[in-house]
Amino acid sequence: MKGQGTTRAKWLVVLTAFALFAVACSDSGSSTAPSAAAPSAAAPSEAPSEAPSEAPAAMYKIGFSNTGGTGNGFREEQNCTAKAEALASGQVESVNMIARNADTAQQLADLRTLIAAGPDAIVFNPSTADGLQAALDEAQAAGIITVAVDAGVSDEETWKFYNNQVDYAYLGAKWLFEQLGGNGSVWYTRGIAGHPADTDRDVGFKKALAEFPGITVVPNEDGVHTGWDPTTATNLANEFISSGEYDKVDGIWTSGMDSQVVDAVKAAGKPYKPIVGADLGAFAAYLLDDVNYPGLVGAAVTNTASVGGAGVNLALKLLNGETVTADASAPLPNTILLSPVLADNQSEEGKATLKSWQTVEGLSPLWPLSVTIDGWTTYTPEQAIACKGPGE
Amino acid sequence: MSAVAGPIVDTRGRPVVDALVAWARRNGWTLSLIALLAVLLAFTKVINPSYGAPGIQGLAISVLPLALAAVAQAVCVIGGGIDLSIGSMMALTSVVAASQMKDQSEEFGVAVILAVLILGLIIGAVNGAVIVITRVPDIVVTLAMSFVWAGAALLVLKTPAGGSAQWLKDLVLGPAGFDWIPKAAVVLIVVVAVIWIPLRRSTVGLSIYAIGSDRLAAFRSGVAVGPTKVIAYATTGLFAALAGISLTASTGIGNPVPGPYTLMSVAAVVLGGVSLAGGRGGVFGPMIGVLILVLIQNDMAFLSLDPNLALVSQGLILIGVVMFGSLIQWRRSRR
Repeated sequence: MKGQGTTRAKWLVVLTAFALFAVACSDSGSSTAPSAAAPSAAAPSEAPSEAPSEAPAAMYKIGFSNTGGTGNGFREEQNCTAKAEALASGQVESVNMIARNADTAQQLADLRTLIAAGPDAIVFNPSTADGLQAALDEAQAAGIITVAVDAGVSDEETWKFYNNQVDYAYLGAKWLFEQLGGNGSVWYTRGIAGHPADTDRDVGFKKALAEFPGITVVPNEDGVHTGWDPTTATNLANEFISSGEYDKVDGIWTSGMDSQVVDAVKAAGKPYKPIVGADLGAFAAYLLDDVNYPGLVGAAVTNTASVGGAGVNLALKLLNGETVTADASAPLPNTILLSPVLADNQSEEGKATLKSWQTVEGLSPLWPLSVTIDGWTTYTPEQAIACKGPGE
Repeated sequence: MSAVAGPIVDTRGRPVVDALVAWARRNGWTLSLIALLAVLLAFTKVINPSYGAPGIQGLAISVLPLALAAVAQAVCVIGGGIDLSIGSMMALTSVVAASQMKDQSEEFGVAVILAVLILGLIIGAVNGAVIVITRVPDIVVTLAMSFVWAGAALLVLKTPAGGSAQWLKDLVLGPAGFDWIPKAAVVLIVVVAVIWIPLRRSTVGLSIYAIGSDRLAAFRSGVAVGPTKVIAYATTGLFAALAGISLTASTGIGNPVPGPYTLMSVAAVVLGGVSLAGGRGGVFGPMIGVLILVLIQNDMAFLSLDPNLALVSQGLILIGVVMFGSLIQWRRSRR
């Protein structure tokens, strides 16, 4: 017995020695730089003046980080369009994707993991505007292009491609307040606390609120955060209804967790209140369904999740040295802003617009209806739904 | 050390070998983890040939908060408890540090960090005192306190904000002179060694092991069970505060919403060979456990696996490793 124990212990010592040896050997042939990117990669902030004369032969590696909202249709579409764009472009060798619910420190870790994989560009949905600076600096020092989608970051060198979230909130809130005749109380539901898009939307909401002094906000002007999580949104709506607070409000502003609120109201058998949401499949369908949702008054504001695919497209343009023009009106340099559009179910024009958005067969009802962006995506809607990247 | 200082060293050096073998047998689980880590590192190098010093530096800074959380968890588990409020304590200490350091001088930052460490000791001690006084099970009290500390964090900051002294950021970012030695790893080892080693060798440290191993026997041997438990939880709070400070140091801000550090710390403690029944294990194993858990995540990303599949795989690997360890212990107990 002692012999067996001694033998095992010796094996352990040998394994330990192997461990030290392996760590020591890992130095050999190491390369601190990522795989070579196109010459333009080193200076993404200075848009090159000349486009290449022929299609690039380079195959790039793309890293993609999406933090928070796992299971949320918007995030899923964002991930899938990123994969689809990488596949459709024919220029991407692989997409390293890390998508999980995590905090800023963990997204920093995810970005560092992606840097270690040696990509040519990293596309990411930022959890905060300022907290990722260290990893962005490290990526740029290694010659990696960084592109933020869905929201902006304070880093000037990073390219930003996102929906104008201030306008998104302003358009919907203004429409809602007008529906209420400028008087009444509104339940204010938000997204992830601290997410730059949530912060921008708060600015837009408050801008509209300032124009309508007769409007009050429930539970308070900070609103309530759903974390852009469908389950959390449903729970909050159920609690709001069962507490009796729902009966006291006149309208609801949501940050995209819209169909969950409508479902909860319908399940509770309560009358609908005017509601604003995003251009998500289920919500837009509810707005047009007079049979199953009679009396539902609402408006949807576009917030395409195709920014995931567009971010990959932008990264490839930069890697290939193509000219990219930033939006001069954006608050930060290297920013491309999309303008949101509102469509309600109260006007014929609005209904026609809502119908025109519903063109893609087989789309998940929780996905935003706008699956592509002209000039910024090259995949087909079917490729987005298939959700396959290169090599998958 | 005892082999070197011992009087019986024959010409063949057998006692030294025997002592080494005995030491290896005592630390078999930890050595196995090191071996597994080495295999994972080698595997990482195979699937990602460019993985080098920057990757190791990124790994070190990434694991720092989680490693400190694992050490925090290990201390109270060794003492026969468990702390489900570690993530919330990290959030609270992080936002307090970030909110107080924003736009302040570097010197003021030192005072803030010292104050936050004291805050960690206090909130940890509160956890322990509530458990001792109310006699409500540790898991219930700390779960309840996790809501208290998380709510307190949101009272300090509603959204991620604040700032960090530059020296604090510089303390953990980059290499420590040599590319392959990250500052974060040095900080982790120094901090844990300075706090844990003297504590473990002290009477209080032995008492923590004693109450975790057999509370009644410890009491009959004269150990002050209640105060020892409070000290164990206070130490957990101190390490949780260090973990919270490391969050602020790496991000430059404070986030009031707790990350998934509590359950990850429990996973790392189990993987690190600390008995959930208490009284057995150390803090080195959980630190290696954290490295393994994070490296598995990294490898999943390097392999471009579906992120959801990666989560499933990580859980299965964790179960597999822990089952393997249990099997070894079961076979050992049958001999």
